[in-house]
Amino acid sequence: MNSIGENCSELKNQYDHCFLTWFSEKFLKGDTNDEVCAPFFKVYQQCVKKAMKEHHIDLKEVEKDVLGSADEHAPPPKNT
Amino acid sequence: MKIWTSEHTFNHPWETVAQAAWRKYPNPMNPAVIGTDVVDRKVVNGVLHTHRLVSSKWGFPQWAQSIVGSTSVCYASERSEVNPSTRQMILKTRNLTFCSYIAVDETVSYAPHPQDPTKTLLKQEAVVTVKGVPLNSYVEDLLTNRISLNAGKGRQAIEWVIDKIDAEVKEIANTAVKSTDELFTHTKKSFDDITSTARKSMDDISSAAKKSLDDLQNLASVPTRTKQNLPKI
Repeated sequence: MNSIGENCSELKNQYDHCFLTWFSEKFLKGDTNDEVCAPFFKVYQQCVKKAMKEHHIDLKEVEKDVLGSADEHAPPPKNT
Repeated sequence: MKIWTSEHTFNHPWETVAQAAWRKYPNPMNPAVIGTDVVDRKVVNGVLHTHRLVSSKWGFPQWAQSIVGSTSVCYASERSEVNPSTRQMILKTRNLTFCSYIAVDETVSYAPHPQDPTKTLLKQEAVVTVKGVPLNSYVEDLLTNRISLNAGKGRQAIEWVIDKIDAEVKEIANTAVKSTDELFTHTKKSFDDITSTARKSMDDISSAAKKSLDDLQNLASVPTRTKQNLPKI
């Protein structure tokens, strides 16, 4: 699966490969130490965070409820 | 607000389904999903917490484009927890794009089937809230129908991924067998090579030795021949 940052996809693939192996071979078998993939995760993260900034994606936005608050877009005025 | 729920049983153990869930995308049933990115991931008290950003391409009808804009890529935030000791996987997804008008909150959980722990029970719930848009309930119905359709595709996708994992495992096994075969063939070939090289060397030595002997003989006979030829000059 691709990354939102085109140049991050290769780093993501390397990390995903490590994670999936770790998940099935270690984590599901009770070994929760995830240090093995940490170096892959670090470089991939740096790339993704940069790509998200470029795409103007702010994950903090999702934490707050917009609907029902003052930030909610008002319905268009009814035709009279 | 619309609430939609669904359940499905997979004839696979929880561990298999959990692995497949991470590899769900890309799949041919959900071509709209174009990217998944892990933004945060950590293990806390034996539970794996993951925050992912899911990007998908949506083809909106013309009327909807006037509301949501012509944005073709939509983003969603997915938070998940995997607990291997209780065999639970829960994923909660919320749309990031169009938050001001539309909120789609989806919860998917995978757990061992209460009656048969060798099977996995999928529970899915989606809450659709639309505000500030004319025909709120119409849009909610439309989205709920879409979720219902996609849920079916999602299950097919998980089955598809499980098949793929099975095939990969078989392929690894086959490759291993092939490698062993190759190793044997290679070893045999090497032995043959060494033998033939050795034989060739022996032949070379023999022929070289023979040649040397012949040369010696030739050399020895040359003076005689020269003598015989001399009178003719």
